[in-house]
Amino acid sequence: MLDVRDLTKTYDPAGTPAMADLTFTVGEREFVCIVGSSGCGKTTMLRCLSGLVAPTSGTVTLDGVPVDGPPKDMAFVFQDYSRSLLPWMTVAGNVGFPLPYKGLSKAQVAAATAEALAAVGLADRGDSYPWQLSGGMQQRVAIARALAYQPRILLMDEPFASVDAQTRADLEDLLLDIWRRYDITILFVTHDIDEAVYLAQRVLVLRRPAHVHEVVEIDLPAERDQLATKQLPRFGELRSHVLSSLRAPDPAVLPG
Amino acid sequence: MQLSTTGTAAPGEPAAAPPTARRGVARDGSRLRTADLGLRRLGLGLAGVVAVVLLLEIVVRVGLLPQAWFPPPSEIFPDFAGLVTTGELFVPLGQTLQGWVLGILAATVVAVPLGVLIGSLELAHRLTRFMLEFLRPIPPVALIPAAVLIFGSNLDMKVFLIAFGTFWPVLLQTVYGVHDVDPTARDTARSYGLAPRAVLLRVTLPSALPYIATGLRIASAIGLILAVTSEIVVGVPGIGVRITDAQSAGGAEALMYAWILAAGLLGWVLNGALQMAERRLLHWHPSFRPGGGR
Amino acid sequence: MIRNRITDWALALVLPVLLLVAYDGWARTADDFFFPPLSEIGGTFADEWLFTRIPTDLLPSLVRMLAGFALAVLIGVALGTLLGFSRTLSTALDPVLQFLRALPPPALIPVSLLVFGAGDSAKVFLIALGAVWPVLLNTVDGVRGVDRTALDMARSYRVPAHARLTRLVLPAALPRIFAGARTALGIAIILMVVSELIGADNGVGYVVQLAQRGFDIPEMWAGTVLLGLLGFSANALFVAVERRVLHWHLAISGRATTGRASSAPRRRSRRTTPNPTEAAGARRP
Repeated sequence: MLDVRDLTKTYDPAGTPAMADLTFTVGEREFVCIVGSSGCGKTTMLRCLSGLVAPTSGTVTLDGVPVDGPPKDMAFVFQDYSRSLLPWMTVAGNVGFPLPYKGLSKAQVAAATAEALAAVGLADRGDSYPWQLSGGMQQRVAIARALAYQPRILLMDEPFASVDAQTRADLEDLLLDIWRRYDITILFVTHDIDEAVYLAQRVLVLRRPAHVHEVVEIDLPAERDQLATKQLPRFGELRSHVLSSLRAPDPAVLPG
Repeated sequence: MQLSTTGTAAPGEPAAAPPTARRGVARDGSRLRTADLGLRRLGLGLAGVVAVVLLLEIVVRVGLLPQAWFPPPSEIFPDFAGLVTTGELFVPLGQTLQGWVLGILAATVVAVPLGVLIGSLELAHRLTRFMLEFLRPIPPVALIPAAVLIFGSNLDMKVFLIAFGTFWPVLLQTVYGVHDVDPTARDTARSYGLAPRAVLLRVTLPSALPYIATGLRIASAIGLILAVTSEIVVGVPGIGVRITDAQSAGGAEALMYAWILAAGLLGWVLNGALQMAERRLLHWHPSFRPGGGR
Repeated sequence: MIRNRITDWALALVLPVLLLVAYDGWARTADDFFFPPLSEIGGTFADEWLFTRIPTDLLPSLVRMLAGFALAVLIGVALGTLLGFSRTLSTALDPVLQFLRALPPPALIPVSLLVFGAGDSAKVFLIALGAVWPVLLNTVDGVRGVDRTALDMARSYRVPAHARLTRLVLPAALPRIFAGARTALGIAIILMVVSELIGADNGVGYVVQLAQRGFDIPEMWAGTVLLGLLGFSANALFVAVERRVLHWHLAISGRATTGRASSAPRRRSRRTTPNPTEAAGARRP
């Protein structure tokens, strides 16, 4: 459904590109994780995929339609919930913020907001303000905002990078649960290999300048469990595989 | 500049974002070196000044603004240059500055010790709280008629007015500053056996200094406003009198704007000088360190 | 809790009451022409300002001040938003704007007399012209400082430009706008009084001036007290509005306004009443 072809982005014509010939596809209802070390051009990639900036060359198509601005079937969850949630709006206000501009009526906005908040377990916090909630709860609000938007594909930029480990595990399971219940495709960017292997059906290993170095199929049982899945020998193998793929010398690119 | 006004999270606030999360992400200027940025800023600023002056000239020449009221810059600047070259500028300038300096000095000499006292004694703070809150927003210009009556239309009156108007910001900033001294720092100093006087001089005052500096910067602007006001309203000698003289002379509009230009430049220079002094004196303070605060 | 409050208030009132009593006692014995006892000032205040002069003098003063202030805020926010969107333009105009803010506004009184004469429009013009700069400069800063992630969020959710402006950019800039408006309010009051001292046929400042010329000392002090009350109430009202509108900002930052001096060294969160020009003065990056 999401088709990325030869995507290149160069900020400084004299320097190295931030993204070079990035090509991959994400299928309908798929859960794909992208791992890359910091500074490998993930942010640039996401901004191009979401239509926030135009690539220097290459194309992004969503369901066959070229992306030249933020597509209406795509929702974005940002890493930094404290900056993507607006402190002057209540939780419900934040979740419902984009909806009127999709043409939803007031009642529809309220219904969609309530449903999305219930889906992330925050049904009773709609009247709170984001800054009254813990970090993990704030990121749930951001996820609820994405759900209420009813996208077909969800782009997530290291969404759980700034919460503690326990909260992170809870949020991962919440996300898997949402993915199973909703008709939704997820593209999840992270620098945490464990997280990528645990969540994904496929892991794309991204290297600098942003290009897909390797695609790793995650052949773990569909049902994931924080304890059982991570104890599987196969989980360890996949993790080592991804790690070595991230680190292996790449003849095409100079390390840096 | 702070990225967002919500940037600095106070410890202990509910569900605060991790501090790192709000730190400045490189803005679009990050690829330029600071020196280049400074040059760019300077160049753009100069271009802006030239453009505004040219625009004014055109607007007046074309007749969009009546020339009788708004002479074109090309007539104002020669008048201003005349004031400088003949030295006519400097006596009124000195008179305005004199009132400004004396008034602020008088206010500071009283306000800083009083502020230290109020800020360090909880009882004094509670006793004066209401009164300060009430007296601070009183417009000092309301006292002009009474001050004229009591002092006459002279320098005393101007100095009194400025001293009264600038007293409050200096006092309040000092109180805030002293009240806010890190208790850890003060306790540390005490536990090392520093005498109360030494704690005051070595810990309390330096910590309160940035606040006092802010108070002085505010006082500077207020002081200038009051100096010019007393000149224009009451006729105490200074730049303000020259502005009204030129206005009532008739046909000397360009000269009037030249004097206004002088008043503006004075304010601009004073503000810049205080900012620079602050940066120099308080270079150790987090908000002046590269990458900190602001 | 409540008992604490009561002690607080009682303590806070001790000093003002003592001072007033001391003044009154001194004025009675000293019999100084310039300093009449409180009873005289109070009596005149009640006679003149409760309520005969309210429609004839207080109201015109208030209307001129509010009109000038409202104009300054409207123009300042509108122009500041426009400038804030263009980094190049706002950098280029920065020196000019800094100059205009540094210019002591009373210096423009002769200009307003020249252009508008002595009527109401001259006063409103003067107030607006003097008060607009802090609002404008703070708005530019506020708009420039809007978080990029928040803007990206709104764009990626296809929130249209006008809604991004009204529901994101302006609310985000609001703390700065309020800081500027607070300075502007102080300037507006000053200019209101000054313009009435110079050429007016009504207004509180005019009454005070007239009383001074006629050596009606109690009347002069009564008017001066009223101007003080006016300044105090305007400020109190402003703070109340700010608390309501910016409750989210105060909750996050734990203080009443933004600005360098209060942001950097303040360690404990506490209610403060910082000074108006602070934020405007600390605006340079």
